[in-house]
Amino acid sequence: MEVLGHLAISWLDPWLLFLTAAGTLAGIYVGAIPGLSVTMATSILISFTFKWEVNDALALIAGVFVGGVYGGSRTAILLNIPGAPSAIATALEGYPMAKRGEAGQAIGLTTVMSVFGGFVGIVALAMFAPVISSFAIMFNSRDYLLLGMIGILLVGTLSGESFAKGAFAGALGVLIGMVGLDPMTAEGRFTFGSITLMGGIPYVAAMIGFFGVAEALTQLKNLDLPVIRQKIDRIIPKLSDVKRYFRLAVRASGIGTIIGALPGTGGDIAALLAYDDARRTTKDPEVPFGKGCKEGLVAPEVANNAAVGGSFVPMLTLGIPGDAVTAVIIGALFIHGLKPGPLLLVETPHLFWFTVGNLALANIFLLIFGLTGIKIFTKIVECPKAILISLIIVLSAVGTYAIQNNPAHVYWMLGFGVAGYFLKSYGFQVGPVILGVILGPMMDANYRRAMIGARGDVGTFLWDFVSHPISLVLSVAFLLMLLSQTPLWRPLVSRLRRRE
Amino acid sequence: MSDAPRPPARRPGEVAFSLLLAVFSVTAFWQSYAISGFKGLSEPGVFPMLASATMLLSSLVILRDVMLKQAGPETGFEPFRRDIVPVRLVVVVGLILAYVIAMPLLGFVVSSAGFLFLAVWYLWRKGPLMSAALTLASLAAIYVIFRQVFQVVLPQGSLIQGVF
Repeated sequence: MEVLGHLAISWLDPWLLFLTAAGTLAGIYVGAIPGLSVTMATSILISFTFKWEVNDALALIAGVFVGGVYGGSRTAILLNIPGAPSAIATALEGYPMAKRGEAGQAIGLTTVMSVFGGFVGIVALAMFAPVISSFAIMFNSRDYLLLGMIGILLVGTLSGESFAKGAFAGALGVLIGMVGLDPMTAEGRFTFGSITLMGGIPYVAAMIGFFGVAEALTQLKNLDLPVIRQKIDRIIPKLSDVKRYFRLAVRASGIGTIIGALPGTGGDIAALLAYDDARRTTKDPEVPFGKGCKEGLVAPEVANNAAVGGSFVPMLTLGIPGDAVTAVIIGALFIHGLKPGPLLLVETPHLFWFTVGNLALANIFLLIFGLTGIKIFTKIVECPKAILISLIIVLSAVGTYAIQNNPAHVYWMLGFGVAGYFLKSYGFQVGPVILGVILGPMMDANYRRAMIGARGDVGTFLWDFVSHPISLVLSVAFLLMLLSQTPLWRPLVSRLRRRE
Repeated sequence: MSDAPRPPARRPGEVAFSLLLAVFSVTAFWQSYAISGFKGLSEPGVFPMLASATMLLSSLVILRDVMLKQAGPETGFEPFRRDIVPVRLVVVVGLILAYVIAMPLLGFVVSSAGFLFLAVWYLWRKGPLMSAALTLASLAAIYVIFRQVFQVVLPQGSLIQGVF
């Protein structure tokens, strides 16, 4: 009964209802407009909402997240420009449908199926998070250290050009997170005698710089892309279509939830894997894949929305973000004095169930906004990038300033923005940097606790990693990840296959 | 003729950038060492040293990979200036820097109005009147939403205090 009460908070409070609706609607536009990303919007939002009640802030942010993941599909279908990386596979089938004059059908089908995927992810979150959380209570310092390293490496290896670039970006983030007074000994680290630096670098400034300003500067290269308009017919999908793709949707939502729940992987990878699965398992599609096949449209959309619920699982139970957006949301939870991890469900169960209920509510709003207002939508997404970029910069600057009313933070934001621009220009991803900034202090503290526990003896310290079952599993996973990035991996796998 | 895919060509300035990362990593390692040296394995400098060592190692791998790539078809500073640091980027970064400096002096409203007007005029190229109208409309919207609705404390200028 108590759980139901927490679940229903945002459904019954008019202000929370409004915030969730506003967040979802804004998220659809943010996700749809190429150049704006959910991560960028969430990081800017945090700077404005950190003084709010935690429920209010989370309602708005969860709405933006849910709406934003879906919103990317709109421009993928209408303009062949995925609004977000998770909509890349959607563009492959959605745009050919739009060219055939079936844009409305494509949007309607993706909306309904996205909501279905979203609900499956939420159910999985509600069912598995408490189980994982009770299991995670058994984790100790070295396990958290390993989880942090696995999370950063996964984001680095799966989203960038090369493993080395991912590792560099993650380590750079860790280093940025180390700036300031050491919380254990109060010794200065990279402070150079500056009082400003002793307080550390605020990670919201880093987030806004790397995700907001860097993206805005990168978008300056695409200012002159022409906009192609599409005709839009009926939006509400046919019931026969929904029934026909139901089994595919169930499978894709399973893929999305699992991939979303893995630390470091998000909706983009889930969508591509589900698309690939649909291509392999669909025997006789009405239209070939790549030419506007509905199976190829449904699978990635279901998966990337299911990944939203999935990505909350490691964030809320282990304190490890599932992807870049949850890395930002974890920052928001820290700002509000909460500690995501196994104890979150024990100490603040109301917050967990509130999040579950709120995500479900955001999906209801997604269905409403997804099937309406398409005409206004097409006008708004055509807003010139020149205006958008200028506005993003103003919001980024004000957002960064608003955290502590400190002009120095705005300089940090600009510095990180320029650094992020160069990193992106040379094929680096900025996601691992932010994960490093957020997880770095946690990893440092856990490393030192584990080392103190081993009385400073390297042998004991390393032995602990293999002599405890959980640590052993995580260590093997970490080593396999490292090995898979070396030239030894391919010959090893092919030799094992031959032996089989 | 081999069918193997050819590695992508080097981006303009990629060698210099990779070298810069390696130099930065060495400096970071040196600074990490300066925190507590090798006094013990649970000292505050150990984790920064591990992080900067990872940076150094990966920057060397990145540098090696870049050197193995084929050089781009064009050489010299021009492709770097055109593809990586175009004039548009330099102008916008300059405008942001001026905006960031001006914000604590002139306050949010005046500095944002100046930045928005110049940025929109320069990037949109629809004339000063359209840019001014758009600046006013968007600034009014931002002010109402963030100051009035969200109650965000916007920067007050030290030079023209009390006006905005």
